[in-house]
Formats: sequence, structure tokens, C-alpha cells
Amino acid sequence: MDVKHIAKLARLKIEDDKIADFERDMEKIVAMIDGLPDNERDILTENVNPMSLREDRAVTDKFTRDELLANSPKVQSGCFAVPKTVE
Amino acid sequence: MKLNEMTISELSEMLRKRRCSATEILSDVKDRINETEGKIGAYISINDKAENSARKVDEAFAKGEELHPLAGIPVAVKDNISTRGLRTTCASKMLYNYIPPYNATVIDRLEKNSSVIIGKTNMDEFAMGSSTENSFFHITRNPHNTDYVSGGSSGGSSAAVAADEAIAALGSDTGGSVRQPASFCGTVGLKPTYGRVSRYGLIAFASSLEQIGTITKSVKDSAILLGAIAGYDRMDSTSSRISFPDYASNLNASVKGLRVGIAEEYFSDTVDDEVKNAVYSAIKELEANAAETVSISLAAKEFSISSYYIIASAEASSNLARYDGVKYGYRSKDYDGLTDMYEKTRSEGFGDEVKRRIMLGTFVLSSGYYEDYYRKAKLMQRKITAEFSDAFRKCDVIATPTTPTTAFRIGENTEDILKMYGSDVCTVAANIAGIPAISVPCGKNAMGLPIGLQLMGDRFAEQTLLNAAYGYERICGGFREVK
Repeated sequence: MDVKHIAKLARLKIEDDKIADFERDMEKIVAMIDGLPDNERDILTENVNPMSLREDRAVTDKFTRDELLANSPKVQSGCFAVPKTVE
Repeated sequence: MKLNEMTISELSEMLRKRRCSATEILSDVKDRINETEGKIGAYISINDKAENSARKVDEAFAKGEELHPLAGIPVAVKDNISTRGLRTTCASKMLYNYIPPYNATVIDRLEKNSSVIIGKTNMDEFAMGSSTENSFFHITRNPHNTDYVSGGSSGGSSAAVAADEAIAALGSDTGGSVRQPASFCGTVGLKPTYGRVSRYGLIAFASSLEQIGTITKSVKDSAILLGAIAGYDRMDSTSSRISFPDYASNLNASVKGLRVGIAEEYFSDTVDDEVKNAVYSAIKELEANAAETVSISLAAKEFSISSYYIIASAEASSNLARYDGVKYGYRSKDYDGLTDMYEKTRSEGFGDEVKRRIMLGTFVLSSGYYEDYYRKAKLMQRKITAEFSDAFRKCDVIATPTTPTTAFRIGENTEDILKMYGSDVCTVAANIAGIPAISVPCGKNAMGLPIGLQLMGDRFAEQTLLNAAYGYERICGGFREVK
């Protein structure tokens, strides 16, 4: 398994000295989940957990801007601050 | 007997007869925490507003107000359930400083009923684990023998109840995370039907599998606590509108005519003999009290662990994508640009097990593998669900061991991932099928470690399940331990 590639897709960085350990563990796990039989789709059509969509109405829970920003690692002028993304 | 050693139903009666106050109950619980927490490590945070809540309950009783049976009862809450103004970490570095601006619906309901939230309990990081050894903060030890794990991922909640550091607790169960630690610590752990309890404010791991559940000292306490937190919530689109009875006042201990399903697949060679014998003895006790046993088949069990890890990890990889160091939680100190900030934040903020599950989920959903893994697992989910539906035409509850072994030693399985995953082998199917299940104590092994009997019920048949468990508890003469 290409752990480096999967990590990149998941926005993770695995240290070089840990790649081998992760590779070994992930291969074991993939071997465990491998080999599920291919069940026929159509014989099993029962909808297990039907979801009911909620009514289309405005949410009235009121959070202040300050409450929502209070947990952010970096706030600037009442906004979440992130590194510059456009040159 | 000290107040902290009692059950919800006992304390509720004492409060009404003015034989104790909520403040006194809290004081005994706090004394116990101070005395024993150093050895057990059940909590991550203690709620410093608990005294205030207890005082309000005493004032309300003094005025003669009618209060819920949970009023004044100290309840511990797993640290992945959001509590307004009280730090909620998921036992992760990623959320080490997160203070929710809102309550989970279950917390609103506990507060409405004047329970006292005593603190937030330890867990495996993001509920990923079976031993509470994956916590960023510390491990939680088994109160029956502190060289052994408490189970997981709700290990803190179960250990707190077992050690009398709380009267009852809330946990969450994605693949057995309430029932397995209940089995390991000798408590009563209930996972309700998917949709019975609102998940709003439960920090998401695998949204289609998880439910908030209860950990208590008795079945009646489970019934009281479940009754308080259950019911439709418009904030959770998967919560059910199906009505439910008053579980506690409808408890019936008679097991006469109860049809107990036995599936041999759950008593395979991977289950310890001591566990098997204890569960078989429990079934015999039920039979001796006029329950009937029915042989059933749950052949798809052999695929349940695989299906579970595929579905749970797929959902985890998506749910945990929100941790980007922008809106809340940890952000790496040193980075070069946005992508580097994401990668470093996530790599430093998550522990190894969380990284493995995110990567597994990313893998099974990735192009070229989706058909082989995720699609097959979702189809297997239907097969497993159909098998349970068939089984419940023949029986009222299904009896199995909760776990194949008793609690293992601390560190014993940390290097052997598959062995650790295997401890969920009897519990994951209930999550996959969305059915309710309960673990109750049914004896101890030669080492003095508790063994759990799992009973599974049909969807939304919590009352039948609780009645069966209550009947077994009565047959045993109660689950109370001699400390």
C-alpha cells in the first residue's frame, strides 16, 4: 500500500521513520477487511435507516459572532485567519 | 453505605424522603473522586459548576417542587458529547482546548431534568479504540484490577460508574464502545436503536453507526436514564419520531415465555471458555425461570468486523476532514502556506490510531477500491440487517457474550491491532443493523474480572430488552459488587 499517497489524500504527513510501521499496520488491516462476498443488490432492497428530511425553515438558534470565533486558533478583524493563499 | 455507592432509583427515593440532599450526594461522589481518581483516571475534566446545580436541586425540593428521578443525580459524560462552556476534547490533542458554544441535545435533556453533570470522562481518541489506551491525556484503569484496561472507547464512563466516582454515565457506542467497557468493568451498558437518541452535539466519528448510550449500576437506572434522553429531535435528521413508553415504570421482571435466541456463531473458538460458560449459565438461569431458548442463525457475523471497519473508517475519514486548524482546536505552530498548515496541524493533532482509520477510510473510498470495499460492505450491512429481522421473527432477544475475553492487561494488545479490533467481534453487528443491545454482568473469571452477557433486541424494542435484562438482574439478586 502506498501510505505516502493515501496520507497525502487525507491531508496527513507521515514522518519518514514511521512510514514502514504504518505500511505494515495498514496492510494487516486491509488483509482483514479483504474478501467480503459480493451480495446481490436487488435481493436486498429494504431501506434500513430511512431519513426524513427536516422542514425547510430558517434555523433560529442564535450564536454571536464572538461565540463562534472563540475557539479559533487565529482571528483577525472578526474573521478566521488563514495563511495567504493567493499570490 | 455511602451515597456515591447507590443507584439512581435509590437516591431518587432518598431525596424525596429528605433522607439526603443533592449536595450531600455530590459531596460523597467528589470525595470518592479525590480518593480514587489517581489510581483509575476516569475523568478528563471535572465540572466546577456541579455544586451550583446540586444546590438548585436542594432549593427546589425544599420548595416542594416535583422533580424528575434524575434530579440531583451526578452523571458523568463522555468527552465527545458537547457541553456548553465545559471543555470537550474527544481525548484528542486536536481539541485539547475546545469549549463548545452549545449543548448536545442529551445534555439539554439532562439539565432540563436537573441532573448534575459531574465531569467529562476519558475515552479513546475520537472514540477509536477498545481500551482507552488511545487517549491523548492518560489511560483509564479497570477498577477491578488496575493492571487491566477499562475497555473502550467509553472506558472513562464505565470505570467512573464501576468505581462509584459517578452514579451513572453517558457514553457513545459506534461498534461496542458502551457495551464492551461495561462488560470489562461490570456495569450495565445500553446502546439504543439507531435514531432513538439524538446525536446532535455528539462529535461525529461514524454517523450512520453511532448512538449515545447509558452506563449504570442497574437495569432500572438504564431505563430511567434512557427515558430522559430518548426521543425525536429536529436537530438530528436521523432521530426517530416513533413514540416510546416510560421504560422505567413499565419494567417487568418476568421472563416467563421470553424467547431467547441463541446463535452458535457467537460462541465460536475465539471466545474464552470462562466467558462461554458464564454466558451459558446465565441462559440456563433464564430457562430455569421459564424463558424458552430458540436456535437461530446469524451466519453473516463472520463478515461483521470487516464491514464495520470499512463503513466506520470511511465515515471517519469524511467526518474528521473538518479538523483543519482554522475554526477550532489545535493549529501547528510552524507551517509554510495553507496546505502545509493543514497537513502539519492534522499530523501533530491526531494520534496514530486516528491516522490509521482516516487513511483506511480514504483508501476504501478511493478510486479503484470503492467497489471492492465500501460498496460490498454496504451490501453486507443489508444482509446482516435482514438476518436479524429474520431472527426476531423467532425470538424476542438474542443472548451472546458481550466480548470474547475479559479485560486484557494494559499494553497487552497495543502492538497487535487486529487483536484489539477483535474485541468488538460480538458487538459491531448491533451497530451495523441499528438494533438496540445491552451488556449486563454475568459473573467473573478466575482472576476476578467481570464477564458480560449481551442481549440484543429488535429495532425500537428497548422495553423488551430492558425487561429481559431486568429479569436476569432479579434472578441474580442484583449486580451490586462487594467493594
